[in-house]
Amino acid sequence: MADQKKSSFISVFLNGLITENPTFTLMLGMCPTLGVTTAAMNGVSMGLATTFVLVCSNLFISLLRNIIPDKVRIPAYIVVIASFVTMIDLFMQAFLPELRAVLGTYIQLIVVNCIIFARAESFAAKNPPLLSIADGLGMGLGFTCSITLLSMVRELFGSGSIFGLRIMPEGYLPMAIMNQVPGGFITLGLMMILVNVIKKYASARKEEKLA
Amino acid sequence: MQKNLAITSCPHIRSRKTTQKIMQDVCIALAPAGIAGIVYFGARAAAIIAISVVTCVLAELVYEKMMNQRVTIGDWSAVVTGLLLAYNLPSTVPLWIPIIGGIIAIVLVKMLFGGIGSNFMNPALTARAVLFVSWGGLMGTYPITRYMADTVSAATPLAVLATDSASVSLVDLMIGNCPGVLGETCKLAILAGGIFLIARDVLDWKIPACFIGSAFLLFLLTSGFNFDYAVKEIFAGSLMLGAIFMATDYATSPQSNLGRVIFGVGCGLILFIIRAYANYPEGCSFSILFMNILTPLIDRYTAPKYFGEVKQHG
Amino acid sequence: MFGKRLFPGGVHPHEGKGGKSVNQSNPIVPLPAPQRLTIPLSQHTGAPARPLVQKGDHVLMGQKIGEPASFVSAAVHASVSGTVTEIGTCYNFGGYEVPCVVIENDYKDEWVPLHPAEHPETLTAAEMVQIVREAGIVGMGGATFPTPVKLTIAPDKHLEFFVVNGAECEPYLTADHRLMLEKPTQIIDGIRLLMNAFGVHETLIGVENNKADAIEALRAAAANVEGIKVVSLPVRYPQGGEKQLVYALTKRVIPGGGLPIDAGCVVLNVGTVFAIDEAVRKGIPLIQRVTTAGGLMNNPGNYLVRIGTPVRSLINACGGTQPHVRTLISGGPMMGTAFVNIDIPITKGCSGILALDKSAIDVDESACIRCGRCMRACPMHLQPAQMDRLIRVENFDELDRIGVLSCIECGACTYVCPAKRLLTQSFRSGKRIVNIRRKKVKEREAAEKAAAEAKAQQGGQAGKEA
Repeated sequence: MADQKKSSFISVFLNGLITENPTFTLMLGMCPTLGVTTAAMNGVSMGLATTFVLVCSNLFISLLRNIIPDKVRIPAYIVVIASFVTMIDLFMQAFLPELRAVLGTYIQLIVVNCIIFARAESFAAKNPPLLSIADGLGMGLGFTCSITLLSMVRELFGSGSIFGLRIMPEGYLPMAIMNQVPGGFITLGLMMILVNVIKKYASARKEEKLA
Repeated sequence: MQKNLAITSCPHIRSRKTTQKIMQDVCIALAPAGIAGIVYFGARAAAIIAISVVTCVLAELVYEKMMNQRVTIGDWSAVVTGLLLAYNLPSTVPLWIPIIGGIIAIVLVKMLFGGIGSNFMNPALTARAVLFVSWGGLMGTYPITRYMADTVSAATPLAVLATDSASVSLVDLMIGNCPGVLGETCKLAILAGGIFLIARDVLDWKIPACFIGSAFLLFLLTSGFNFDYAVKEIFAGSLMLGAIFMATDYATSPQSNLGRVIFGVGCGLILFIIRAYANYPEGCSFSILFMNILTPLIDRYTAPKYFGEVKQHG
Repeated sequence: MFGKRLFPGGVHPHEGKGGKSVNQSNPIVPLPAPQRLTIPLSQHTGAPARPLVQKGDHVLMGQKIGEPASFVSAAVHASVSGTVTEIGTCYNFGGYEVPCVVIENDYKDEWVPLHPAEHPETLTAAEMVQIVREAGIVGMGGATFPTPVKLTIAPDKHLEFFVVNGAECEPYLTADHRLMLEKPTQIIDGIRLLMNAFGVHETLIGVENNKADAIEALRAAAANVEGIKVVSLPVRYPQGGEKQLVYALTKRVIPGGGLPIDAGCVVLNVGTVFAIDEAVRKGIPLIQRVTTAGGLMNNPGNYLVRIGTPVRSLINACGGTQPHVRTLISGGPMMGTAFVNIDIPITKGCSGILALDKSAIDVDESACIRCGRCMRACPMHLQPAQMDRLIRVENFDELDRIGVLSCIECGACTYVCPAKRLLTQSFRSGKRIVNIRRKKVKEREAAEKAAAEAKAQQGGQAGKEA
């Protein structure tokens, strides 16, 4: 029994991290994906902030899932989610004011981030708390990883560095479009091609093994 | 019984026009403007044209080899893209600019969307827009020609026109003795290419005519019928190059006659708005790109009524 | 009086060697009947004729050997005198096996007793239709639709005028041109007889203006006849298409899915009119036709060919074909049928036998470049590139909506396409699928209706029982 639970905790976690990656498979949360991913650091912090909110809201919505009346579930979810967003926002204002200034309103906009809503509606409202935490962690970290990857690429071409470390040679002229939204779209599109190619290759390999 | 006879479905005769011949015609039509560019801006212009064309063709070749697709560089469309891209660059840009531009144009805009005929924006113009947004400093400074006195300020005719139209010489605009990107300056060469293409039935006159015509009318009306100013506006900048060679790109412009008129007028209108009211001095590329995106919509709403569809005989 | 742009769209197909310029000056030569003739019983649209003769029968020239099997069918006649050696099957140009009568020629050309109309000037419409039916006349332009069916006007329709098609817009073909040049009086006479019989006072003859001499000849012949007008039309394929011709001559539009009679007229080919005149005045049934042998023949020409003559005889009469021939075509190069077996007999609808050096398989299809040429070439104002795309993605509902069934398969789009896409070929299959789907929808609706009715009835009965 315990064994089974453990395995499903891991499978739910991996499902969010890889199989149903919110950015590359579910295409959720596009607003912060395109908006803040100009530098790798922004990507990481945005992702972690979202993960925090996601885990907490998933846990509480799962705990309250039998109490919340169906008709008012959306406002109820918003109250839960908004509480945690306010917490993280105030926390960042107090301890990470510089990062907060860069991410700006995107932190507050986590309230309406569709990843959190989608998971609340489609997972946390139907599953026990432990699994919901797994889902929140998986989805959150999946989101963090993918937007960090995205922002690393954009930072590399847009500023010539990754996490502030200069990578490109001295004479490199930054490609300014990478710091703007069109650059976000282009990078996202290209990375999705890459992810799909890898997935296709992987599933072909799997079938080969089975055969 | 005769041998080697083939059974095929009718029609059994086909016109001699092929995609390849059409693209070759476009290349021929583009040649005079390129030669003018080399004359005015020197060997560096030639180098940029060469690098751009080679990059485009190689990019298409490598992409198709990698994807195991049929190699289509024989249709010459990559050459046309390369030429157009080069013509939209100032001759002073570093030589890696046309390489990046060519890869963006062919791989990002054309091949990833399905190759020739399937791209929804003009490859050369999109590449130019990406380059322009990325390296505005390099792309936005236009050199003076070799035949201009050093004392003349290097401001583009468009910038001067807005304040003082009398000081711009129409003759210089026509023959191309003015600052600008390397392929746009000599309007006579561009016009000659356009006439050649119309005569060869490659180009439909409707898009360029409506584009230039509507822009001219708008400049004329808003300047209080300043004829001299309006004429110079349409001969300045890349309007001619854009209207004749880039707005008419088959894949990204409407197919029906009415659609082409709407497309041309729309381009003229947006060009006018950008030139007259926006921050950018030149709006040609962006007006065409904007209308490119509207093309499927225009095509949908201007689809012809088929013969006998509605009308009954009287 | 008529604008230059006579119908929307169209193309100017080019010709190779042995085209109109050569052949239009070659007079019609009767081709000697061969030793053995294979006369198919199905040379027309509709049901094959029922054979009237048996193996071993002696037949006379012009004797009816096949009777129309249904309303849409046509009679078939012996084109020589001789002995029936076989009632079997043969191949037609389309590659299908059809029933046929094989006649061994006795070279006597003995005519069956002919019965010309007794009072040709005062025939009624019904009598005229009867004569045309007896003579086995079908559309000679290539469509081979039985003419008596066309001339049977539905009671709710009104025939206002005739349109005679002398456009001959297909490249290479000169059969109609020569006929108009050599038999103008008979053509005009045939038209006059038709007008008398049907009480029609107006006829328009459309001829492309590359046949100026034919226009002259017809105008001279029609000088004293009231109501016949010969109209010179610009050269543009498919000028001879029914809908295009009617529009060019009258600016009337035949509604989609409709027939010329919906625009108040009947369209007849000049060859058909000539055959009608022969049948009425002389009682001669349709046993021969003018066929152009063109393209890469050693000596191209126009021949008066007995129906049932194998293609081989015609090619031999032309001195054979040149060695680099790649395709043989029956009909014009735009809408004709390619074939390889030169023992196939020439039939009523065969306006030409062409030998061409290039075939459609010699060119490769490439991606559509959206140039819009097909759209401007389409005489039906369709969107060929779009229809092709829809067929390839199998979106047949949308395909039906944008009018694929209106496609007349003229081939103009395929001709102009610079990417060499096989558009017409694709539409042919697309049309078939759309038709099947329409039929299925109709059947389903009928079934549903029947089911609903049965249910209602059952409910009623149940109510009664209760």
